[in-house]
Amino acid sequence: MTPTTTRATHGTRPPTGKSRATAAPGTRPAPAAGRRQGRRENLAGYLFLTPWCIGILLLTLGPMLVSLYLAFTDYNLFDSPRWIGFKNFQDLFQDDRWWTSVQVTLKYVLIGTPLKLAAALAVALLLVKPRKGQGFYRSAFYAPSLIGASVSVGIVWRAIFNDDAVVDKSMSLFGWDVGGWIGDPDWALPTLITLTVWQFGAPMVIFLAGLKQVPGELYEAAEMDGAGRWRRFRSITLPMISPVLFFNLLLELIHSFQVFTSAVVIAGSGTNTGGPGDSLLVYGWYLYEQGFRNLRMGYAAAMAWMLMLGIGLVTAVLFKTQRGWVHYEEDAR
Amino acid sequence: MGALRGGCPVSASVGQRGARSVIWHVGALAVLAVILYPVVWVIGGSFKPGDQIIGSLQLLPTDPITDNYRRLSDGIADVPISTFFTNSLLLAGGSVIGVLFSCSLAAYAFARIRFAGRDALFTLMISTLLLPFQVLIIPQYILFQKLDLINTYVPLLLGKYLAADAFFVFLMVQFMRGLPRELDEAARLDGCGHPRIYWNIVLPLCRPALITSAIFTFIWSWNDFIGPLLYLNEPDKYTVSLGLKLFIDQDSVADYGGMVAMSLVALLPVLLFFLAFQRHLVEGAATSGLKG
Amino acid sequence: MGARRGTTRARGVRAAAAALAALGLLATGCGGGSGSGDGKVTIRYSWWGAKDRAELIQKTVEMFEKEHPNIKVKTDFSEYTDFWSKFNTQAAGGNAPDVFQNSYAFLRKYGDKNLLLDLNGQAKAGNLSLKGFRDGLEKAGDIDGKLLGVPVGANTFALFYNPDAYRKAGVTVEAGWTWDDFFAAAEKVRKSDDTLYGASDNANVMYLYDLYLRQNGKAFFTKDGKLGFTEDDLTKWWGRWQQHAKADELVPGKKSEQAKPKASISADLSASEFTWDNFLVRFAAETKTSLDLGPIPTTDGKRTGQYLSSLMLSGSARTQHPKEVAQFIDFMTHDPEVGKVMGYNRGIPATTSQYDAYEPQGVDAKIAAYEKSVSAQLEPITPHPAGADVAEAAFLRIYTQVALGQTSMGKAVDQFFNEADSALGS
Repeated sequence: MTPTTTRATHGTRPPTGKSRATAAPGTRPAPAAGRRQGRRENLAGYLFLTPWCIGILLLTLGPMLVSLYLAFTDYNLFDSPRWIGFKNFQDLFQDDRWWTSVQVTLKYVLIGTPLKLAAALAVALLLVKPRKGQGFYRSAFYAPSLIGASVSVGIVWRAIFNDDAVVDKSMSLFGWDVGGWIGDPDWALPTLITLTVWQFGAPMVIFLAGLKQVPGELYEAAEMDGAGRWRRFRSITLPMISPVLFFNLLLELIHSFQVFTSAVVIAGSGTNTGGPGDSLLVYGWYLYEQGFRNLRMGYAAAMAWMLMLGIGLVTAVLFKTQRGWVHYEEDAR
Repeated sequence: MGALRGGCPVSASVGQRGARSVIWHVGALAVLAVILYPVVWVIGGSFKPGDQIIGSLQLLPTDPITDNYRRLSDGIADVPISTFFTNSLLLAGGSVIGVLFSCSLAAYAFARIRFAGRDALFTLMISTLLLPFQVLIIPQYILFQKLDLINTYVPLLLGKYLAADAFFVFLMVQFMRGLPRELDEAARLDGCGHPRIYWNIVLPLCRPALITSAIFTFIWSWNDFIGPLLYLNEPDKYTVSLGLKLFIDQDSVADYGGMVAMSLVALLPVLLFFLAFQRHLVEGAATSGLKG
Repeated sequence: MGARRGTTRARGVRAAAAALAALGLLATGCGGGSGSGDGKVTIRYSWWGAKDRAELIQKTVEMFEKEHPNIKVKTDFSEYTDFWSKFNTQAAGGNAPDVFQNSYAFLRKYGDKNLLLDLNGQAKAGNLSLKGFRDGLEKAGDIDGKLLGVPVGANTFALFYNPDAYRKAGVTVEAGWTWDDFFAAAEKVRKSDDTLYGASDNANVMYLYDLYLRQNGKAFFTKDGKLGFTEDDLTKWWGRWQQHAKADELVPGKKSEQAKPKASISADLSASEFTWDNFLVRFAAETKTSLDLGPIPTTDGKRTGQYLSSLMLSGSARTQHPKEVAQFIDFMTHDPEVGKVMGYNRGIPATTSQYDAYEPQGVDAKIAAYEKSVSAQLEPITPHPAGADVAEAAFLRIYTQVALGQTSMGKAVDQFFNEADSALGS
């Protein structure tokens, strides 16, 4: 490995805490650079974005708008969609199972996401320093996420949460005698959350990559100033990885709201996939059931757009609060 | 190695450091033991007979058998297992190339170029993350069918080459925004245009982000199930993730043993990919300073 | 600023155009041509099942291709739930497979939407023989005068029980026994062996309740596609099971949910369970306990209400090769060699030629003996309207909520009627 003292030439400084951020990655307004400059930037921007533009027009935007239209129709997949205005949305609010799915999903998101991110960050901090067997440790911690949400995972999850199996036995040591966890409507959701937290590999890798970009000099300087471990974490690590933390938080939230496969895997496929007493009826599954089994694609589309509104709101709020806690290098001057 | 110190203490005597290191390893292994319990269970299960797998209370088989693995060599419906692996490798590899290329281009534009309409387009990109995929299935299927691309890999790959995965664009944007501005300003003074800044400065510095994206793309495309299910109509085009679902059906004698064994074999390529690339995760960051 | 707004607008217009184009596709769908120039016809055949079935089907398809060298059959298969997701998506695009495995329960669901080929014309043209079917099965696919499917295999509902546990409890199972006898047996088993429940709680199985209703001159669905029973009827049925569940004689909801994907009986939780007789093959592989098939309890000591249901082959209404599809179905249902290869994999063969060609062994022999023993009982099948599958799922889910103690009986019955009525479109 090469010595890397040249890193210092970047002249990076700890963020000052004063930062400016907009919805899009902003840059400070350039001093009147002239119209030609601006036009050249526009051209370059769109040239770089060409594949993305084609992609969004061809693959994403069209289907998105179609689904928006379908949300206002009665569409059974095979006959032409029939316009029914806001009826799907009105029906949603009358639908007990829809409310159940909202509740289940909210619980899942609000409990699962913070736990998963905390686990990911803790392990990333544990693994950031080079040590003997680093590759082994990283891969071992990542292994659960490699498996994905396959049928095998469903089987092993059902087995370890079985009556008298390892989880139940260890928990009854603390006086928690549940029995079979996945069969119990009160305890099935916690097993799904556990599965999510267990697969913390993706945010962990992103945290690792972010931690790698924190220049070591910052820590040396802070240590000379006598800052302790916690201080260094609070005033250097956290601000320096805040863009990555922001990313992880946002994406994990979005993914959690859309959770689908892992819920299906735990509930087990078959006729009844909301889990015991609909306790695993996540939004994504209910939407799928309505669209593809009950052939109510218009209703499913309405559900999808309600979800999109919900996540959109959360996303917008997060972007707004970015200003307060996310520090971008470009702003730190 | 000095710069890789991260948050570790600089001053500590050798003896102290040794003791700490032992504690660290013991602690990490203890955490791992808990986390890897289910994985060990799966490995144990792959050596159990099929009727002793579901709901089993035992971690390891009492009477290990290798039958489950041996059966894999028979293939599924005249298709050898290796075909599924070749197909998956092709798709996952193709996806990695596509994502690295197209998403980094888009991310550079969003992170480093000031063009009109950028905020609106960025918002649009983020919004594509928000709509659940379930309602996009039908319109997209009809589109690819009109283009006569059903039963080809194009529907599974095209999006990767057109930066349709907003996740990766956004990931790279976040990393590029962390790079010091002075770098491209200096390059610009030297007369470099955007293509050169992108290729010679930003990309090398973003290696951790690129490697991360490569790892995720590979794994996620390897594990993707819905796409191959809908678009592939011949078993010899099937991927590993599809193959894994061919062991069980409601009105069949389910081959749980075979499935668990295959899910472990299916894990090997992704594990190897991860092992190979996580090393670059370190090197990328360590050497980036030099190149800048 | 002006430039910016301009580009956004242009983008909006283009996006709208793309969306419109896609919408146009939604309404029309499109049929993919699959003919090729050399006179050889390719048809696509999809089915659900796992790799054991795949091996058998592969062989039979090769046999068909040998017999019909001008027809090439491309097969693809997936697990049951995935199969229908894929089928729905493809059919929405007008790209359904030319011929596919289907179930009696879905004939109206897809027939009403004009997705299924009426095979009557092909039968008249002599491409498909309707002769030689067992027990009137050639009528099974006849929906309002259209032939929407042809059965390949049939099965009937049965009581699965653990003979050792029954013997130990001193219970004998005999034809004509009543529901009272059945529940008494469950109680005795429970008392004689505290590791075993007397029966799985099958109050939520639509097909079982259908049999009970038929014993009483009703049926789950009426001919015009409504529910064939009242809220009172259902309260009584569910209440009766609940009474025994509360007495701890039936497998509790929590335990049967935890045991999935195994059934309660194959997880060795209970001594009896009702399901389709061909599931014996699956259960025999899942548990070491030897299980027997017994008669369905009756109301009057005579009538079980049983009928044959069937797995079918259907053609797609949009296929460009109806003749070849018919020839394929004909071969798959009648050819004795096919019968020999498939065995009872899709239920007991529907035609006598295939039934006679296969000599059942082991578990298959048990199923064959059972079907023979009830064949005198068999009656015409209850029609399944479109939406029957949704009603079935609601029936299962809502009673399970009762069994788990999440809702009261009154609420549950109301909820079922609401959901079923809206699924059945009344």
